[in-house]
Amino acid sequence: MSSVTLEGLTKQYPGGVLALDHLSLEIADGEFMCLVGPSGCGKTTALRMICGLEEISAGVVRIGDRVVNDLAARDRDIALVFQSYALYPHMTVFKNMSFGLELRKRPREEINAAVAEAARILDLEALLERKPGQLSGGQRQRVALGRALVRHPSAFLMDEPLSNLDAKLRVQTRAEIARLHRRLGTTMIYVTHDQIEAMTMADRIAVINQGVLEQVGTPRELYEQPRNQFVAGFIGSPAMNFMQLEVVNEAGRHETTRLLGTGIEMQTDQSQAARLRSSGLQHVVLGVRPEHLVLASTNTEYGLVIAARVDVVEFLGNGTSIHARAGEQDLIATIDASEPPAVGDTVLLSAPPRHIHLFDPQSGLSLDPPATP
Amino acid sequence: MTGFSLDPELSRARRIRSRMHLSRSALNLGLGAVGVLWLVPTISLAVFSLRPEGLFDVSGWWHVLTAPTQLTLHNYSALFSQGFAAGGLLDSTLTSLVITLPATLLVTALASLAAYSLVFGNWRGRDVAFLVTVGLIVVPLQVALIPVLELYRSFGSLTGYNPFGTFAGVIIFHVGFGLPFGIFLMRNFYTGIPRDLVEAARIEGAREWTLFRRVVVPLGLPAAAALAVFQFIWVWNDLLVALIFLGGNPHQTLTLFLFDQTRSLAADYWIISTGAMVSIVVPLGVFFAFQRHFVRGLLAGAVK
Amino acid sequence: MTAATPEITRFGGLHRAPGRRRRNLASLAFLAPAAIWLLVVVVYPCFATIRYSFYDESASRFVGLANYKAVFSTDAILVAFRNNIIWVLVFPFLVTVIGLMLAVLSERIRWGTAFKTIIVMPVVFSATASALVWRTIFDLNPHVGVVNALEQTASDFVRPPGPYPVDANLGQSLAGLASTGVRPDGHGSLVSISTVNAGHTVELGLIGVSPQTLALLGARTARAPTAAPGVIDGLVWRDFSPSHPGARGRVYPDEDGLADLQVSLLRTGGSAVATTTTRPDGQFKFANIGPGSFRVQIDAQNFTSSFGGTFWLGSSSVTPTSGLSQTAQALLSVPLIDIAMIVAYLWMWAGFAMVIIAAGLSSLNREVLEAARIDGASEWQVLKRVTTPMLAPVLAVVFVTMVINVLKVFDIILNMAPGSSQAAASTLAFSMYTHGFDGGIHSGLASAIAVILFASVVPAMAWNLKRIRGQM
Repeated sequence: MSSVTLEGLTKQYPGGVLALDHLSLEIADGEFMCLVGPSGCGKTTALRMICGLEEISAGVVRIGDRVVNDLAARDRDIALVFQSYALYPHMTVFKNMSFGLELRKRPREEINAAVAEAARILDLEALLERKPGQLSGGQRQRVALGRALVRHPSAFLMDEPLSNLDAKLRVQTRAEIARLHRRLGTTMIYVTHDQIEAMTMADRIAVINQGVLEQVGTPRELYEQPRNQFVAGFIGSPAMNFMQLEVVNEAGRHETTRLLGTGIEMQTDQSQAARLRSSGLQHVVLGVRPEHLVLASTNTEYGLVIAARVDVVEFLGNGTSIHARAGEQDLIATIDASEPPAVGDTVLLSAPPRHIHLFDPQSGLSLDPPATP
Repeated sequence: MTGFSLDPELSRARRIRSRMHLSRSALNLGLGAVGVLWLVPTISLAVFSLRPEGLFDVSGWWHVLTAPTQLTLHNYSALFSQGFAAGGLLDSTLTSLVITLPATLLVTALASLAAYSLVFGNWRGRDVAFLVTVGLIVVPLQVALIPVLELYRSFGSLTGYNPFGTFAGVIIFHVGFGLPFGIFLMRNFYTGIPRDLVEAARIEGAREWTLFRRVVVPLGLPAAAALAVFQFIWVWNDLLVALIFLGGNPHQTLTLFLFDQTRSLAADYWIISTGAMVSIVVPLGVFFAFQRHFVRGLLAGAVK
Repeated sequence: MTAATPEITRFGGLHRAPGRRRRNLASLAFLAPAAIWLLVVVVYPCFATIRYSFYDESASRFVGLANYKAVFSTDAILVAFRNNIIWVLVFPFLVTVIGLMLAVLSERIRWGTAFKTIIVMPVVFSATASALVWRTIFDLNPHVGVVNALEQTASDFVRPPGPYPVDANLGQSLAGLASTGVRPDGHGSLVSISTVNAGHTVELGLIGVSPQTLALLGARTARAPTAAPGVIDGLVWRDFSPSHPGARGRVYPDEDGLADLQVSLLRTGGSAVATTTTRPDGQFKFANIGPGSFRVQIDAQNFTSSFGGTFWLGSSSVTPTSGLSQTAQALLSVPLIDIAMIVAYLWMWAGFAMVIIAAGLSSLNREVLEAARIDGASEWQVLKRVTTPMLAPVLAVVFVTMVINVLKVFDIILNMAPGSSQAAASTLAFSMYTHGFDGGIHSGLASAIAVILFASVVPAMAWNLKRIRGQM
């Protein structure tokens, strides 16, 4: 078991394309770290460089204390679970799992014991003599996990292992992987584009966008204190609502700052006002998550009031999703309403200040105060 | 640039990487040697054709590397200056062309028609017919030589025209043995044409011939090109069929011309090598011009 | 009339659309030309040949299995069987392996496409042209054949020829060289017949040396040796005088010395005490010789001949067959010409195998190979235990295609094997030609051979059909 450290990891393709730009990340021993980001953001490239399948343009990869930059993949003591499982089609499930140990010339008893144990943990015992072609997607996935498991590697690397499964199986397998991690305690580095997977499974999440690390933190940290608009919009489903608002500073007895948009008005509190004034911004992006919006009456105690016209009402079972429009801005609110509004109604929405995020429209950076330790 | 630390681990790892690079240059060297060796026969043939006859068995052709001035076009001019005398090099080239082109066109056309029927015609026994043609692909030429000779003779006594010894006789045979593979190739390609296109055209009122000519053939051009290239090279390079069916005809195909040279007592290698060069230039040209199509034909050809 | 849609009858069944019959007729019309052509030129002859094989040479008298009996009892045709077996056992396997190696390796270099083009080129050459080229490559004459030229260079490097080569292949012998005062010692050298002591001279005469060799070595007129104390002075000369052609033993003034010969002085026990080389006039001198009797030896290395060359195009067998009966020899020998032809054929077809396997290789799931590398496999292990098994279907197709190809091999034998080797190189297809068409048409026997040839291809045909059927 080992920690994995990335220092300034960079990948540049001939022709100049920069797939990964100086990614630095410390993954603690035994941690479950998720790399998330949209397609093409460089997360898979990073994983492959850690693995040894891709040449490192610059930067250092350490597994434990060893620098592994120039070590061949097989000498790095890691295991990789591929998106397409990459099982050996001509070998039985047993052989698929034992292949790595056979290559390392482990004694037969050790191999049999290791495979048996992995099969037991992953519920593959009945399938050992079958070939991959005879297995379902979920079963193949478990074999791929088993193949990684028997090697007892220092770190498990997984490249979107659930994306080829149907929704129900995905939820099931997610739980299994999380369970596996708890049981083994091995470092896991998990790549996915699905932020739900990341949020539910990871100890910490690294959000990557166009080769750059946007933010790394626990799921809660990313959810509650996104550092920039990208992270705020990427984490959480449905995505956070963003509204372009004008900053109006009013002088007078109390210096107040209001944010205005069509159908939207917000009276900022003191700390928000202070931050806005010191930033000197004239426009700001306001972000609030659909699940934090509530139906308000005219005399709501919250500073934010949004008057929006309802376009679509979706009954979700555990709540109602309202798609509404305020001026030019579309937004979604997930509310718990026994009497949901009808299409065409104008509703008032509000949200408590702690759930309101302000972002610089130019840089995307959050204006929120840094997290209290 | 980060990462270039004085870490001793890193420098050791870097030494391992340079060992990996060494094996890459070993690979390049090894494959380079294989490539050169592979070219040697072809180059030797070219050199033979460009050297005076007298040097043939007195000094190795490789000496041309040290004494390039000995190269001359004399052999070519000597053979070309014979003009189109029957049995000469130029005449044989022409004969090969006259036999190969019609055979290629006929096979491509007939195979396309047949494949259309096998794919878009909805008659019972389609699949059986296809499997029969697949089976026919591997039938050796030898099996048909004597019966076809006999057929020609019978045809001759019936109608007065015996194809034996004529170009037509050779072409007929080649077409027959080119069709199974041709039908196989075209049929496989045609199954990839979306049926919706054909159905849509049918609904619009297109008759079979129009469908064939205006929809299937244009879409099937890549496969037809592959077949044509493949068939052309096959017939151009043939020896046995021409040997048997051209009989006493004063005109010979190029391969026959070459074979004939080996049988003469003098075995003038300057003639053989020059003729061989001419005979390989044409397929080489076709190959380079239509490389993609040829490769596609090869890939489908893993049955012949 | 469009009528693509079926009409539904009163009873709810589907009525065949009116246009359908017309469509089917047109369809069959499209098939007809090809079908007729095939029936006439391919299908009918299959049956006809079977029929002819049961008739005699002129196809008029029914002879039952007589032709087949003849096939299996004619040595020449049994040799053809043997060669077919050799070809089938050796070639498809080799060409598939080579194709696999080339396909895998060419993936890893930047100039892979150029490399593949070079390797594939010979596929478009006629077997005739290729055979003619390879015939020169394997030619016995080292001025023509690259292979023998290399062999000779290597051999001359390892065992340099002496200035006076004795070539057994040309009927020369050491004894034939000895004229005066020397005899062969049984170990490749010539040794003086009588002994000699210090202070005396010795004259050794050789014959059978060509004037060209003399000129080449810059020989001068022979000079008789002079005695001197403590010295053995000697002469090796060409014991042939143009003026006294029959006379032997005496040094005539018009006789030449033999230069550049290495001579050794031997004790009575046989051990050499000194060596020297003869001068242009044939003289040599051993100085500071102690007491005792000695012999003079003209060393063996003077007489080593240049390498004779290997007749790759010939029928000498690689397998040992001496002492066996005629038929057994015919069946068990593996002639060199077969090896030469297989090498040439590999050059012609390896590119074909490589292209097909490369296509299969590129359609493999790369990630499985990466998984193997992570699992700890070296490149060789990945190739052996993962890539090759995954390529098994493609390899099988290549293998079977080459088996079919090789069973019909003909052009290369006709053009590469010289007349003397053609019988040893013959295959079924070749013997069908020689027995069927050379010198008139012998229908019965040739048809029998053709039928056997056909039968040999049938298993491959069945395999192909099964495979295509599975894909349909």
